[in-house]
Amino acid sequence: MVAYIVYLQQIPELLHKWSSSYDVYVPTRVEEHFYEFRPWQEKTHIAWDYDLAYSPLKVFFMPPREDLIHFDLHNYTASPVIKKTRQLLFGVHPYDIKAINQLDQLMGMDGVDVNYQNLRDNTVIFGLEPARVAETAFWAGVDAARVDFGFDLFWTRISPGAFLVRVGSAQGEEMLKMGSSITSATAAEKEAARRIHLRAAARADKQGLGFTWTQVPEFMNKFYSRKLYWREKAKTCLSCGSCNLVCPTCYCFDIQDETDDHLKQGKRYRQWDGCMLEGFSRIAGGLNFRPNPWERYRHRYMRKGKYIFDRIGELGCVGCGRCVKACTAKIANPKVVFSEIREAIKNEA
Amino acid sequence: MAVKPKVAFFDFAGCEGDQLQVANLEERLLDILAHIEVVSFREIKTEHSDDYDIAFVEGSITRPEDEKRLKEIRENAGILVALGACATIGGINCLKNFINESEYRSTVYGSSARWYSTYASRPLSAVVPVDMDIHGCPIDKNEFATAVKELLLGKIYTPPDYPVCAECKMAGNICRYEQGQLCLGIVTRAGCKACCVTEGSFCWGCRGMAPEANLDAAARIMEDHGFTRLNAQDRLRLYFGCTDRAFNPG
Ligand code: SF4
Ligand code: SF4
Ligand code: SF4
Ligand code: SF4
Ligand code: SF4
Repeated sequence: MVAYIVYLQQIPELLHKWSSSYDVYVPTRVEEHFYEFRPWQEKTHIAWDYDLAYSPLKVFFMPPREDLIHFDLHNYTASPVIKKTRQLLFGVHPYDIKAINQLDQLMGMDGVDVNYQNLRDNTVIFGLEPARVAETAFWAGVDAARVDFGFDLFWTRISPGAFLVRVGSAQGEEMLKMGSSITSATAAEKEAARRIHLRAAARADKQGLGFTWTQVPEFMNKFYSRKLYWREKAKTCLSCGSCNLVCPTCYCFDIQDETDDHLKQGKRYRQWDGCMLEGFSRIAGGLNFRPNPWERYRHRYMRKGKYIFDRIGELGCVGCGRCVKACTAKIANPKVVFSEIREAIKNEA
Repeated sequence: MAVKPKVAFFDFAGCEGDQLQVANLEERLLDILAHIEVVSFREIKTEHSDDYDIAFVEGSITRPEDEKRLKEIRENAGILVALGACATIGGINCLKNFINESEYRSTVYGSSARWYSTYASRPLSAVVPVDMDIHGCPIDKNEFATAVKELLLGKIYTPPDYPVCAECKMAGNICRYEQGQLCLGIVTRAGCKACCVTEGSFCWGCRGMAPEANLDAAARIMEDHGFTRLNAQDRLRLYFGCTDRAFNPG
C-alpha cells in the first residue's frame, strides 16, 4: 500500500491547485447538526469530523433534474446532452463510496447510462475515515465500514495536524504530488492509521445490525408474503418518496419533455423518481402494479434486502441512515425492518 | 400556423394574484401570446368578448349568483382551466366555512349585510366540470407557461400527484420537522418545487391535498413532533378547508 503524509497546513495549497482544474466539493456544516458537501472556497471551513452529509452524493452523478436530449420540433432533429464536469469530492465516507461503487455497477448493467457515466468518469473521489457515526447510521452492520476500491485517495486523520493518505489510483497520487514536499508514510504511521480505522469501526459496530447481513436476503424472501406485517408497518406511510430520494443507492428516474416558449425547440429531461410514490408503478390505462402504500413499502425493502443482492451480491443499503432521518413518519428504517423480520423468523423456528 | 386559440380570463372571489402572476411573465408572455389570441383579460386589456376556446378562471364560488356566470363560461369554453387555489380547491376563502354565517356576514359587510348574498366558499369543480387545474396561491408562473404550452400541443397538463416532500428532497432542503417546525408538505400536492421551504419558510398547503394524502398519518406525525391538534387544525384549515377530511383531522 502506497501512502503519504499530508499536514493540515499543506491542504489549502493543494486545494488551490486542484480547484484550478476541478469543481471541488468538501463537507461543511450548514447548520447545527447538519452537514452538506459544498463548493470549496478560500474561506470554507471543512467539517473533517462530519457524521453524515444530509443529501446523498448521487446528486453529483445524477442530479435531481438533468437534461438528456435537446430537440427541434420543426425539423425533427435531436442531439444528446452529456455533461462532463470535472469534479473532486473530497472527504467521502466509506459507506458513501460503497454506494457509488454500487451505482457504478447498476448504471452500467443492461447498457451504460451515458449521462451518469460521463459525470462519474470525470469525478475524482477522496475518501475520509469517519470521525463520528451518525445516530441513525448502521453501516458497520452492512459491510460498509471499509472500502478497498472506489477512491483515488483515502485520508485518515492520524493526529490533529496530520493525515495519512492511501493511494487508490495513479490520478490520485499525481494530484497529491502537486503539493510541495509531501513525504511517504512510515510503517509506524501506517499502523497508526490502521488503529484509527479499527477504533472507528469498533465505535460503529455498536450501531450495527446485531447479526450478519448475509442472512437478510433469505429472511426477506421468507417474509415477502406476510401482508399483515407490511400493512401494519406502512400504516403511517405518506407515500412521499423521501426515503427513496435521499438514498445514495436509489437511482430511479422519470423522463419528461418540455418545449420552449416559441414551441420550436425543446428538451427531454429526467427527474428523480422513487418506488414509494404512487404514480411510479402506474402504467398506461391507469393500471397500477402497486396501488397500495404497503405494497410499495414492501417493494422498497425487497429492493434493499433482496433484489439488489440477487444482482450484485451486496445489500442495496449501505446503512448511511439518511432514510431513517428523512422519514417524518419514522418508519423508513432498514435496520429495524431487517431486525424485526429476523426476530419473527427466529421465533417461528 | 393553424388558427390561434382564443383565450379569456375570468375571476370570482379572489385577489387576482394569479392573473398578476400571468402578467408577471413579462417577455415570456409575449412569446406565448404569439400562439394564442387573448380576447379578455382585465389585468392587461380593457376589451371583452364571449367568443373564446379556453377559459382561465380564477377565484372561488361564494355566492349563488356566481354559479350562473360560471355555467355560462363553461358553456362557451371548450376547455375550462381553474387558475389558483381559490378556483382549484376553494382556497383561503374557505376559512369562512368554519365561522357561522351571520358572523362572517356582519364582519365583512357590517350593517349592510342583508343586501349581499353569500354562502360557503367552494372550488369551481363543485359547480361545473373543470378540465385542468393550475394549483397554487398564487400560481407559479412557470407552471402556468408549461400548462399553456401543453394545451397548445394538444395535451392536458397534469400536475404532480405526490406530496411536496419529494420536491423538497430534490431541492436539497433540510426538513422542517428536523428543525422542530410544522410543515404541511407531507400531505400537500407538489408542483411548486417546494419553493416556500427553499425560501426559508414551510409549506402552507396552498396546492391542496395530494390525491393519496394520508391524513391519519399526518395527524400522528404532527402529534409525535409535539404539535397539538389545534396547531395542526389551524394550519390545515387555511387551505384544506374545502376537503371534507380536513374538517376533522385524525
Ligand atoms: S436504505 Fe436508507 S440507510 Fe440504506 S443506504 Fe438507503 S438511505 Fe441509507
Ligand atoms: S428502491 Fe425503489 S426507488 Fe430505489 S432504486 Fe429500487 S426501485 Fe428505484
Ligand atoms: S416510508 Fe416514510 S419517507 Fe418513505 S414514503 Fe413512507 S412516509 Fe415517506
Ligand atoms: S420540510 Fe416539509 S415539504 Fe420538506 S420534506 Fe419536510 S415536511 Fe416535507
Ligand atoms: S411549498 Fe406549499 S405553500 Fe408553498 S407553494 Fe408549495 S404547496 Fe404552496
